[in-house]
Amino acid sequence: MNRKKLTAVVLTLLAALVVVFGCIFFFLSAKPTGGSKRITIEVVNMEEKSTVYKVQTDAEFLRQAMEEAKGLEFSGTEGSYGMMVETINGETADYNATGNYWAFYVNDKYCNYGVDSQPVTDGDQFKIVYE
Amino acid sequence: MNKRFSITAKDIVTLGAMVAIIEASKAALSFLPNIELTSFWLIVFTLVFGWKIALVVPAFILVEGLIYGMGLWWIMYLYVWPLLVLVAWLLRKMESSVLWAAVSGFFGLLFGFLCSFVYLVTGNFETQIAWWIAGIPWDIVHCIGNFVLMLVLYKPVMAAMKKLCVGKYSIGS
Repeated sequence: MNRKKLTAVVLTLLAALVVVFGCIFFFLSAKPTGGSKRITIEVVNMEEKSTVYKVQTDAEFLRQAMEEAKGLEFSGTEGSYGMMVETINGETADYNATGNYWAFYVNDKYCNYGVDSQPVTDGDQFKIVYE
Repeated sequence: MNKRFSITAKDIVTLGAMVAIIEASKAALSFLPNIELTSFWLIVFTLVFGWKIALVVPAFILVEGLIYGMGLWWIMYLYVWPLLVLVAWLLRKMESSVLWAAVSGFFGLLFGFLCSFVYLVTGNFETQIAWWIAGIPWDIVHCIGNFVLMLVLYKPVMAAMKKLCVGKYSIGS
């Protein structure tokens, strides 16, 4: 092979490899996604005013999904079963003082678990009601 | 000792100067990500000084480790740079600046892939591949940078080296 041909072959190989690497990056690199589950979290406050949060998440449990919901603020007491939610969006339900609490529902059924262990599946509709 | 493989005080000074040139060039271009002259100098020094480059590479790697700390990247350096020197030594008869630019470009493009093998040992195959793929855009920058720098600098620098080292080192031997 003469030098000109060799140079052409080598340069073509280099250019082809750059293209192949570029394709590998384009098609196979990890891409950020907005999460694979679409759920809604509806909060009904003490004035029975409803606010709905739409969340696209990969969260396994409700607490993480609630943390990802923009505009939803909550806090509570950490215990051995996870967080006992006491305050949502600045409104505190104090069972000992007034007998009120935040009730959690999933698809209109009472949640069997706390926020740390309540599973999240695609399409779930959560409702948190001041009762 | 075989005179061909003996090391003189002048050689030691020359080797020190080579490491200094590589480090100074590296520092000068550190603001440009993945644009480096280390590949260029290691290839040129291999062509000019032959087997004596085998002493420069460990010295350079050691200095790098002392300056920047010996992390995982340092393990990569232990085999990546010697591999480049080996390839350059095997191709030492080649004189085309375009082909040397291609060699340097190939090295830049494959740099991430070669380095990723450390993650095969410390992690697993998936870790290795994910790490390599994530860095491909920078490998392409590395490839282009190496290609252009070698293409532009090879002829003038080799001409200067031949002039300076005439009778002292056997270029291409």
